[in-house]
Amino acid sequence: MILTFFRNLIRDLRRQPLRTSLTLSGVGWGTFAVVILLAFGSAVSRQNLKTFRGVGQGFVIAFPASTTVTYRGLPKGRLVRLTPEQVLLAGQKIPGIKRTSFEFTATRAIRYRREDVLNTVRGVTVGYGDIRNIIAGEGRYLNDADVSQKRRVCVLGDTVTENLFHEEKAVGRTVFIEGLPFTVVGVMKKKIQTSNFSGQRDEHCAFIPWTTYSALFGDKYIGSLIFQPANPADSKRTIRLMREELGKLAGFSPDDNDALFVWDWTEFEKSFSIFFLAFNVFLGVIGAFTLLVGGVGVASIMLVVVEERTKEIGIKLAVGAKRRHILWQFFTESLAIVLLGGGLGFLFAALVLKALPVEKIEEFVGIPLLNPTVGVATILILLTIGIISGLMPARRAASTNPIEALRK
Amino acid sequence: MIEMERISKVYRMGEVRLEALKEISLRIEAAEFISIMGPSGSGKSTLLNIIGCLDTPSGGSYFLEEKNVAGLGFDELSTVRNRKIGFVFQNFNLLPYATTYENIELPMLFNGRSGKRRRERVRELLEMVGLVEWQHHRPSELSGGQQQRVAIARALANDPSLILADEPTGNLDSKTGEEIMGLFVKLQGQGRTILMVTHDTHIASYSQRTIQLLDGRIV
Ligand SMILES: Nc1ncnc2c1ncn2[C@@H]1O[C@H](COP(=O)(O)OP(=O)(O)OP(=O)(O)O)[C@@H](O)[C@H]1O
Ligand SMILES: [Mg+2]
Repeated sequence: MILTFFRNLIRDLRRQPLRTSLTLSGVGWGTFAVVILLAFGSAVSRQNLKTFRGVGQGFVIAFPASTTVTYRGLPKGRLVRLTPEQVLLAGQKIPGIKRTSFEFTATRAIRYRREDVLNTVRGVTVGYGDIRNIIAGEGRYLNDADVSQKRRVCVLGDTVTENLFHEEKAVGRTVFIEGLPFTVVGVMKKKIQTSNFSGQRDEHCAFIPWTTYSALFGDKYIGSLIFQPANPADSKRTIRLMREELGKLAGFSPDDNDALFVWDWTEFEKSFSIFFLAFNVFLGVIGAFTLLVGGVGVASIMLVVVEERTKEIGIKLAVGAKRRHILWQFFTESLAIVLLGGGLGFLFAALVLKALPVEKIEEFVGIPLLNPTVGVATILILLTIGIISGLMPARRAASTNPIEALRK
Repeated sequence: MIEMERISKVYRMGEVRLEALKEISLRIEAAEFISIMGPSGSGKSTLLNIIGCLDTPSGGSYFLEEKNVAGLGFDELSTVRNRKIGFVFQNFNLLPYATTYENIELPMLFNGRSGKRRRERVRELLEMVGLVEWQHHRPSELSGGQQQRVAIARALANDPSLILADEPTGNLDSKTGEEIMGLFVKLQGQGRTILMVTHDTHIASYSQRTIQLLDGRIV
């Protein structure tokens, strides 16, 4: 039965090679367009999200500034100064905060042998690396012992490493920061970072334990603090609690928005994701319309086919075919054309994606891939269009009057 | 076998009202071989189509093997045609792209017979009409007489008790027509009821009874 079904199907399709190939290529082209658009669309979003995350992931950053309202008898216009201990204490007290960190920042001279640069040096905590996506490509990142023992160690950004060491291996060597020797324990893995908040991008920076920084350069008050809410959607509440806690410790009103200048990076990330979701839906809709044109082609050609095959339908009805037999025959034929054309388009798109010069385009659009989302979306669109374009001709065929049909 | 009471068929074309059949009453026993004759436009095909459940009457009652056919729906009529009736047409009405084998098999595809039983039955029928060597040929490669034999084999696929033939020899030469009549006589011998429309008195002489139609009435 199944075999007969496919034999008849293939025979029906082969009987009209021109028509079959036209409809097949219509649907195939539509599918090709959908797959390519979605693959590029999702690659572009992924790439942008990745470079966006170069600065860090789901965090809030705050800079102490000066007060603009009086607070418990303290005048306005006071500088807000926060110590590392205050920040860490506040972070521990507030529920729903995953990590709290801070940094001391300044531009300082870094030297290795005859190479000399003026770059940003950051005194940071161990958790800082996790928040900011600073991952050691070689060696390691800073650890708890580095911080507690105020070790003179540093992790260097990949670019500054190149500038200082050229071809040489950096890990284990000694560099001089403001003339003081530091052992390089790690080099940051290259990351694409399109945004930043203070000083140079991470690739140019040297990261040292904050305790060392404070001891050597005398800084008492942090430059900025960053923290990561356990749930990014929870950022508003944690920001409010952070203002309250730090306000109590450093003497400013929790309603004084200017005392602590806050950037909610989770907000950016959210709108960023929404933008790219919309972008992909838009591409999908364009692709679906292209495919719809192919589907309309299938439907209209199948209507002609039904018209031409009225006699055949009449014969089948005369020997006892029921409506559903006729309906099924034409429905499966349209569906088969759509799915076959879709399969060919999909295959072609896969080949094209495979043949792309990935290295040349990755920086701009990422790597377009046939990921499951693209596959599932395409299959759903194809099925919908196949069913719609098959049902109409099939219903027309099934409503044939047998005597009229036999008279043709 | 067939009991018709005051069957009428009216065609309406805009203002014009055409009575193709006028209160036809008819009784046909099982295993009768009957020919229907009459001038062109007298309603022969219309009557045959109603008997064959391809068309529905405008009025009257029709019992086929004690079953009231008048009130049946589209798919129920399909089932009746499939199980009880075999059609033979003047222009054969074979599927042009299908082989002899496939054409004969066609009625069995609509009642869920197993592939094995279908194969056996097609083989039997091919032998009966003498077309075993032609089973893989298409209608266009067959002579008129051979095509009509394919059509008869197809009509017999589900072993129906009633064979309806609308001018089955109309497109055949007289010798081939006689061969087809030979087959019909054999079918009657198997106990089947045969109704045949014809213009040819010689062909009609193979039947035992002739119904004469004139202007939609039996005369
Ligand atoms: N679908 C239809 N619509 C309108 N009139 C019809 C229709 N079918 C048949 N008629 C008319 O009904 C009458 C009987 O037609 P029918 O085909 O039964 O005649 P017939 O006896 O078979 O003629 P012939 O010997 O030419 O085949 C004719 O006048 C014909 O024009
Ligand atoms: Mg006629």
